[in-house]
Amino acid sequence: MARPGASVSCYTAPMRRVILAVLAIVAFTHPLHATVIVPLEFRELVAAAPIIVHGRVVDVRAGWVDGRRRVETVVTLRAEDYLKGRLDDEELTFKVPGGQIGRYRTVMIGAPDFAAGDEVVLFLNSAGADRYVFGLSLGVFRVVLDEPSGRRLVIPPPVMAKLAGDAEAVVRGDPARRPLPLDAFEQTVRRVIAERGAR
Amino acid sequence: MRRGVAAALAAIAACVMFAPALDAYLKLGTTINGRVLSLHWTQLPIRYFVTDRSVAEVTSQQLQQTIATAFSTWAAVPGVSLSSQFAGFTQVGPLDNNNLTVLGFENRPQLDRVLGSTSFTVDVITGDIVESDIFFNSAFAWSAAAGGETGRFDIGSIALHEIGHLHGMGHSALGETQLIAGGRRVIAKEAVMFPIAFAAGTVADRTLRADDIAGIEDIYGTSAFRQSSGSIGGHVTKNGSGVQGAHVIAFNPKTGKLVAGFTLSADGAFTIAALDPGFYVVRVEPLDDADVTSFFPGSFNVDLSFQPAFYDKVVVVPRGGTASGVELKVVPK
Repeated sequence: MARPGASVSCYTAPMRRVILAVLAIVAFTHPLHATVIVPLEFRELVAAAPIIVHGRVVDVRAGWVDGRRRVETVVTLRAEDYLKGRLDDEELTFKVPGGQIGRYRTVMIGAPDFAAGDEVVLFLNSAGADRYVFGLSLGVFRVVLDEPSGRRLVIPPPVMAKLAGDAEAVVRGDPARRPLPLDAFEQTVRRVIAERGAR
Repeated sequence: MRRGVAAALAAIAACVMFAPALDAYLKLGTTINGRVLSLHWTQLPIRYFVTDRSVAEVTSQQLQQTIATAFSTWAAVPGVSLSSQFAGFTQVGPLDNNNLTVLGFENRPQLDRVLGSTSFTVDVITGDIVESDIFFNSAFAWSAAAGGETGRFDIGSIALHEIGHLHGMGHSALGETQLIAGGRRVIAKEAVMFPIAFAAGTVADRTLRADDIAGIEDIYGTSAFRQSSGSIGGHVTKNGSGVQGAHVIAFNPKTGKLVAGFTLSADGAFTIAALDPGFYVVRVEPLDDADVTSFFPGSFNVDLSFQPAFYDKVVVVPRGGTASGVELKVVPK
């Protein structure tokens, strides 16, 4: 099997022996998502990401990079509101590892997936001329419609420490921690930025 | 009181269906022609290369030995059929698309906070996986020392986690974090496959926990293992509707083992497989403290707005069968 950018000789009988195959159709299986990260508190995320933007994905396009050695996907976002690091352009692009070219889909586990139409709040970082989601998927907050209330909620809810005081365990199911409406989430981000600016 | 427990046990036992459970745990998969397929090495041994690239405190030879140990740790789980083979060092980087399974260091400072990750390239027509690679981010400080080193992340722990993914395992949510002023840290884990790392210097994640063991047994368990283990199945519902993305935990009070799974369909169905036969307490909780993207795809609608709950009966897991009908009703936050 030959692919663009790959040596035909790499994919011979010995290689076939190590090819992963699909065994079964399993309803309890989910697409590839996993990695191991260093933990992050929400205020750290706000401080570390130079760009925080709310918008909607309008285009997703995969391509080869580094001399056709690897695949990355360029995502175009139509910005509705910059919460930090305003850019001049109404549309901005950022890259995520992996993507599909022809019949081959490369997935870096833990990298977020986007589709045109997705509404998101993104925490972005840059490397040279390229922008990336901060922390692979840590900087992705999705805006979803809560049908019972009709509100647009942001998930996941931010996990934030108290500004001062003792350490506190993050209790799963804490009634106080729930997805925030979009406007409340944006206010939270702005409040954190203001707090840091005041110190 | 004792009569009440006996009645509860009888009621659960009556729900048991003696059929082996095949579907449980969070596994990796990919969508082919609209169908979600799980990933599984069918040809063994798994043949892999290691990038001939050293970092401070960890040579490529030490990395290769660490990787071999991690593969062996997974393969040594009782009741599974797994093996691997080191094919040699290579100059190829672990993030290159080249049809080879390569593990190694790569400097990716733009992947903030990411210690390592596993990737797959899949043929979307056939479902074959063309390659699977693991990179360890050399932007961080690493150690291969037996007891760990202050300020350096343990390569053995991270390799064990990533090689779990390479075998097809997803993340586990059996872990607890703590907030401190200006930061967050892991304070307890019951799974190597928990996605957040311990602080640098810790080597605690070199040992598989019950949840990891159940996960690999669920994927690679032999038929003899399946006949000797059992599972729990049921639903999580809120106001009569299924809850998707709920974290369901089975606790065996006798052994102290914790094994967990998720509801992965709109009707709130779950299965927790590869369990020791015995008595279990079952709890459900929302994944409201996590980066849900590291568990589920963006299109997966996770319900985070419900209160934790326990199943009101003790569940009896039979040998070679499923304790089904475990219906967990939760209320909104």
